[in-house]
Amino acid sequence: MTSLLTPPRASDSPDEPTRPPRATRSKLGRWALFFAMIVIAVIMLYPFWVMIVTSLKSEAQFLAGQGFSWLSWKNLSATIPIGQEVLSSTIVCSASILVILLVGLPAGFAFSKLRFRTSTAVFLVIVSAMMVPLQAILMPEFVNVTKLGLTGGYWGAILVYAALGTPFSVFLFTTYFRGVPDELIEAGIVDGLGYFGALWRLVLPIAVPAIATVTVLQFIQIWDDLLVGLLFIQNTSERPITVGLAVLAAGRTTSIPELMAGSLISALPAMLVYLGFQRYLVKGLTMGIDR
Amino acid sequence: MAEITFDAVTKIFGDDVRAVDELSLHVADGEFMVLVGPSGCGKTTALRMLAGLEDITSGSLSIGGAVVNNVLPKDRDVAMVFQNYALYPHMSVEKNIGFALKIRGDSKSEIKRKVEEAAATLHLTDYLERRPKALSGGQRQRVAMGRAIVRSPRAFLMDEPLSNLDAQLRVEMRLEIARIQRILGVATVYVTHDQVEAMTMGDRVAVLRGGRLQQVDTPQDLYDHPINEFVAGFMGSPPMNLVRCHVRPGNDRVEVDFGDQTVELPWHYTSSHELPASGLDVVVGVRPEDVIITDASSPNTIKTRVERREALGAEILVHLTHLDSNADTASSDPGALRDISRRAPLVAKMGPRVHVAVGDVLSVQISPEHAHFFDATTGVTLRRR
Repeated sequence: MTSLLTPPRASDSPDEPTRPPRATRSKLGRWALFFAMIVIAVIMLYPFWVMIVTSLKSEAQFLAGQGFSWLSWKNLSATIPIGQEVLSSTIVCSASILVILLVGLPAGFAFSKLRFRTSTAVFLVIVSAMMVPLQAILMPEFVNVTKLGLTGGYWGAILVYAALGTPFSVFLFTTYFRGVPDELIEAGIVDGLGYFGALWRLVLPIAVPAIATVTVLQFIQIWDDLLVGLLFIQNTSERPITVGLAVLAAGRTTSIPELMAGSLISALPAMLVYLGFQRYLVKGLTMGIDR
Repeated sequence: MAEITFDAVTKIFGDDVRAVDELSLHVADGEFMVLVGPSGCGKTTALRMLAGLEDITSGSLSIGGAVVNNVLPKDRDVAMVFQNYALYPHMSVEKNIGFALKIRGDSKSEIKRKVEEAAATLHLTDYLERRPKALSGGQRQRVAMGRAIVRSPRAFLMDEPLSNLDAQLRVEMRLEIARIQRILGVATVYVTHDQVEAMTMGDRVAVLRGGRLQQVDTPQDLYDHPINEFVAGFMGSPPMNLVRCHVRPGNDRVEVDFGDQTVELPWHYTSSHELPASGLDVVVGVRPEDVIITDASSPNTIKTRVERREALGAEILVHLTHLDSNADTASSDPGALRDISRRAPLVAKMGPRVHVAVGDVLSVQISPEHAHFFDATTGVTLRRR
């Protein structure tokens, strides 16, 4: 019952519209958010849908706008060595990521857990390398790699990708390891481990989210890259899928379904890797925020 | 098993932060030594130097007679229990406990036997397959203990291992740790800021302040004969009352002026303490349990008013101020004593049945045999040694 002493609230006035209760507002907000997410998902997924549907048509079916055929996939494998190119991309990606992890993990561990005089300065220098765009250092890198005689096969590209990806991995691992209690490492050291032992046996098993994050982000970046592959892998038998697709688009075929099939093959591994590791990715990218 | 010796050990961080200053301390084989002191007193740094986790700036540290200044932590054969337990989160309890043995290269059967033994001692047998995150605080603490005892090390180092536990569990675990230490008979250095833990667990207690060792003694001697005002104020809960007074030996008694009031203490204090016949400004220390309520007609009483009353169940703490007093809370070294000085000059510990209320005027006596005298300038005890 309303007390006589209680002044009427603004919303109680019959002249003004009544405000919906908080629960209803919250529900409306959730529906609006849900709808917005559906729209965004459709916008994001539509190109993939077009790619899949188009790749499953012949040239004639594509122009006619109806029908289904595996022809473009058969033609694609006849036009370019698609299997070899996927294998090349896989080799370059895996080796580059391996080098990035092998350098980034101990470096991140050292910057976060070891005390040495120039630690901060060296860390800042390494991290600042993240801000240098690939195009700015491409020519010097090309000259250096050429001088080393590594422009023919995989090794030149692997070194360049590793050099480009390492600063980010060092940054990420350093941030991650700063969240690992010092006592955990110290307990291992008192138990009889050295620093490498502590890194390998104690830190690595709990660094899976960080490792997954570096792996996924670098995989997507390296797998999708064209420029380094084009410049540093000059043996046609070792070129990656992105270069193969560029060659395809440059004149081997004008068939849109065939190009879509090639694009799908190129995009699929990166998507699968992302989907496989996405639960770690969020954790890896947000680590340190909640501290 | 081994003895531990700190010989003038100093640790300086950076250029001028002296965390531990000329620490000399001997821990006998099998002894339970507690390092106690307020935050920043250097107790954890001393322990970390002993573990090999911090370099030693100067002095020498030996375990079992051998200097270990430059010996790697893994080669010191000491086991450490950390404040937050530092359990390996990706390993089961069984693997956590057996990890050090695995690194040492013990056989699988040997590891299994020792882990099961330790688990039985610590009542962890049912939890061996669990990961640390599936354990309660007390169980984690026991796993940390298990990881230490399974190695049969030469020394146990414990860095505030009970500080993350609730009050009840802390009482249980301190009994448990003391029991295990006595069974194993391994030299133990235990760091805590909790003087109750220090008093109840240690064979001896070393009190540190500002990186310097103040006093090392058995808990009772530390309580009964503090070497300075800091130790007097730090050990005991509630802490010792420290009141600046003027003392005057005379008429076969020692007269102590509490502001305008004078009480007389037995003459023997002049022989047991450095109290010059000409009189001296001192800080008088009285434990709360040695402040006794008495009749106003009794001799040697101080008239006080009850400022605050804290009923703790088994006892009552009564905060008293002098009624007509100019006496002030001890402040021989204002910077040094700020942490132990209190606004109410006297706290008395009384039985739960005593009826006192805020505002009551009480006459209190100081237990004649239990007064402490400290130099008003240096804070050092005036007791002759």
